[in-house]
Amino acid sequence: MTAPAGNRAAAALLVPLAVGAVVSVVLGVYGSLHTPTGVAVNVAGFSSAQSVKAWLATVVVVLALAQLVSALAMYGKLGGGAPAWVAPVHRWSGRLAFLVSIPVALHCLYALGFQSFDTRVLLHSLLGCFFYGVFVAKMLLLRKDGAPGWSLPVVGGLVFTALVGLWLSASLWFFTRSGLTF
Amino acid sequence: MKRPGPLFTLLAGVVLAGGIGIVNLATGTGVAPVAGTASAGSTPSAAPAPPTTVALSEAPKPEAPARADYAGRVVGGGASVAVSVRDGHAIAYVCDGKKVEAWLQGATAGGKLDLKDAKNATLTGSFDATAVTGTVTALGRTWQFTAPVAKKPAGLYRAAPKVRGKAGKVGWIVQPDGSQVGVLTTDEDSSPAPVLDPAAGTATVDGAPVTAEPVSGLAGSGDF
Repeated sequence: MTAPAGNRAAAALLVPLAVGAVVSVVLGVYGSLHTPTGVAVNVAGFSSAQSVKAWLATVVVVLALAQLVSALAMYGKLGGGAPAWVAPVHRWSGRLAFLVSIPVALHCLYALGFQSFDTRVLLHSLLGCFFYGVFVAKMLLLRKDGAPGWSLPVVGGLVFTALVGLWLSASLWFFTRSGLTF
Repeated sequence: MKRPGPLFTLLAGVVLAGGIGIVNLATGTGVAPVAGTASAGSTPSAAPAPPTTVALSEAPKPEAPARADYAGRVVGGGASVAVSVRDGHAIAYVCDGKKVEAWLQGATAGGKLDLKDAKNATLTGSFDATAVTGTVTALGRTWQFTAPVAKKPAGLYRAAPKVRGKAGKVGWIVQPDGSQVGVLTTDEDSSPAPVLDPAAGTATVDGAPVTAEPVSGLAGSGDF
């Protein structure tokens, strides 16, 4: 029989993961079902919506690297105790990264939809849906006291991994084809 | 409430997404001029759905747009390809910027392309709201390509100038990154095209100004 502590930990994990899974599925279903509009607002100074997205996503990845480093510091993996400013930096760089990612994801979802015409595009579509689901799960998990200690780093790591995968399958692809153009 | 921060973060994201969505709809850019259903090859003039109905209940599956323009390079970078699609008809141009070029056209159905020219050049592939992917064969060379959607001034242009008193033909492909390639062909030979000013739509051929016409499925110009 499982210890009561184990049950509590499982229960604490259950709701965030379930909500995250629902978010992922809803995004994917919406992306598949609606008719892609194929257009979106462009930003002055950029040559195309694609380059706007590629650069915004790059900003998100840079912020995510700050997330990774600050998380490692908070868990004492960089040696010694973390300074007091690390936690706020982690929180605010994360919030900023999330907000910057929204216009990019919105264009993907609204103008393009869930696509699978080649491996890169299928991978990107799957990762995009997964990313917001696992991000929601991570946000909800932050508020749970009973969750096991390993859960936050694991879920946070998945958020980071998914984001890097998204960047590689879109921004890097764009930059290798079009050069570092704005 | 304990630790509301993460919830505010999520809420801020939802509010931002909603705000951008409303701006999109309000400015009319959310209307779907390019997203016809590809199966509507025989019924091209179905009215575009109003933006407010572009929602969960809409349409069976994301399909190829009825009208779209694409421009890109072949795998390996040896040539450029532009494809323009409008209501079941497609025009494509492939050129290497030096000598090789071909103008192809044909019908489209269900997002599939099968285009030809008079000299055995072929282009097969498929397109959707983001890109066209396929294989093109011209003058004995075969290339694979994926070309993303091209927004003005990127896209395909053509002109029919006089060169030393004889009829010539020019095709240009302006890439989404702003670079361009083109070939000028006369009865005698082919050569790199003079520089096109895509904003003004003009070039200078053989010392005389020439007006270039966009071949755009979206705009409906150039044989569409």
